Amino acid sequence: MTTWPEPRFLPCGDRALSVELGDEITRDVNARVLALEYLIHQKGLAGVGETLPSYRALLVYYDPLAIGYEALTASLRDLLAEASPEVLPPVRTVELPCCYGGELGFELEAAAQKLELAPDELARLHAGADYYVYFVGFTPGLPYMTGMPDRLTIPRLTNPRVKTPPGSVSIGGVQCCIYSVESPGGFWVLGRTPVRLYDPTAPDPILLRAGDHVRFRAIDRAEYDAIAAEVEAGRYRPRIDGPARPVS
Amino acid sequence: MSELIVQDAGPLTTIQDLGRAGHLRVGIPASGPMDREAFVLANRLVGNPDPAAGIECTLIGPRVTFTDERLVAVTGADMAPTVNGSAVPAWQGLRVHAGDVLRLGPARRGVRAYLAVAGGLETPLVLGSRATYVRGRLGGLEGRALRKGDRLPLGRVTAVRPRRVHPDRVPAYGGEPELAVVLGPQDDRFTPEGIAALFEGPYEMLPQSDRMGARLKGPWIEHTRGHDIISDGVALGGIQVIGDGQPIVLLADRQSTGGYTKIGTICSFDVGRIAQVKPGGRLRFRRVTVAEAHAMLRQSLRALDGAIE
Repeated sequence: MTTWPEPRFLPCGDRALSVELGDEITRDVNARVLALEYLIHQKGLAGVGETLPSYRALLVYYDPLAIGYEALTASLRDLLAEASPEVLPPVRTVELPCCYGGELGFELEAAAQKLELAPDELARLHAGADYYVYFVGFTPGLPYMTGMPDRLTIPRLTNPRVKTPPGSVSIGGVQCCIYSVESPGGFWVLGRTPVRLYDPTAPDPILLRAGDHVRFRAIDRAEYDAIAAEVEAGRYRPRIDGPARPVS
Repeated sequence: MSELIVQDAGPLTTIQDLGRAGHLRVGIPASGPMDREAFVLANRLVGNPDPAAGIECTLIGPRVTFTDERLVAVTGADMAPTVNGSAVPAWQGLRVHAGDVLRLGPARRGVRAYLAVAGGLETPLVLGSRATYVRGRLGGLEGRALRKGDRLPLGRVTAVRPRRVHPDRVPAYGGEPELAVVLGPQDDRFTPEGIAALFEGPYEMLPQSDRMGARLKGPWIEHTRGHDIISDGVALGGIQVIGDGQPIVLLADRQSTGGYTKIGTICSFDVGRIAQVKPGGRLRFRRVTVAEAHAMLRQSLRALDGAIE
């Protein structure tokens, strides 16, 4: 695990490259990735198209007819000198209601047993933490987060599930993720949020963005059902502190 | 209202345009045509701008009718198109009239055919694009593949003369295509023997392949130390190699990020060619540098511009 002293520029075919800043999952490295991305778009770097941040790397698409590989890496190197977390706009904190245990959090008890905790204690510790979204991806709107107390570090499931319902709040290793669409999964499902992280019918289908903070609010099944009905009717807005709209 | 009416859909017939740019960072792939060159040529044949929305057909084509007279063109896989039961040529503009039945059959060569209609399909824009992303239930018509009875609104037509792709420029979709690959981003996680195996080939297309990825089977590609990496972004054409040493090429509807080593990336101008290799068909990879890839890209764009007579 390390932070590279110099960025690594790794070709990804003829139209993209990956800027790798380290080989570790830390908020420090990730903040530099997000800062580099922010500066690229703020300064309108010529010839650069889409960007895709992840834990420790930024995938940069470019138009080779507009900018050559060497010129692009030189520009990115210059920008990296300025890419510190301070350049990023204020963060948002998104509060997500979560119903722990029962049929929605169908692996809470098994996970608690594995961790040698009471199920209620596991739910309380999980809901009490401040989570940081490193990036959003794999499936639309799925946040890759850390922030749990060390006590909740847990090996991934040995036999991944074929189907995990969307909204499932789950943990694996030091990470917490929320499944955004029905998909296979290797994390322990502790609960479910009625909020949609991906809603293809909404004008902005994606709730969370890289750099956001997430907090969970434990709710009971009755409140879950009530909020789910509001979500279904298009009336529910999760509580967001900080800038109302995502920066990008 | 001018419409295209779907009489029979075929197994996977979707609306595509040049894709939904700008949302990879929230996990939404660009989608768009699997064979971009064939798609663009179909549009140019009917006088449409390159990004106009058209139809991608997979393995077996649809049967469609039209409510007014306009130019259409079929490119890509050879699906033996007919109008009202009579064979018509692909790779050229065809005039159809109200009530005409255009049918595309099973693919005899290639996998994906494109149907462009003058004026383009005017289904709703979703996040700036009409492309269908079926797994995400996004774009196209209700985020799904087309089915019998769908009526697709068509745009306004301007008068253009029918044109055709020069016969020498029509791809054959046979043999073993050789696809240009730039090594990276994780080529340092493979042994020299593993990298040599990739370029030795050939690799066979497996039937589990889809719009997310092409699963291939061939010489074992050896890792130096495991296949897991810290998840990072996956570029179009990325060649992911997991524990079994077999490559998966990530395509238009791919997952945006992944935690497996990527030995190389197929160049943008060759991604469309892998989309036309049938299950059981074979292909090879050829190693190129970034500079060579850029020269080849320029050449392929010139060839595309010169393809229509």
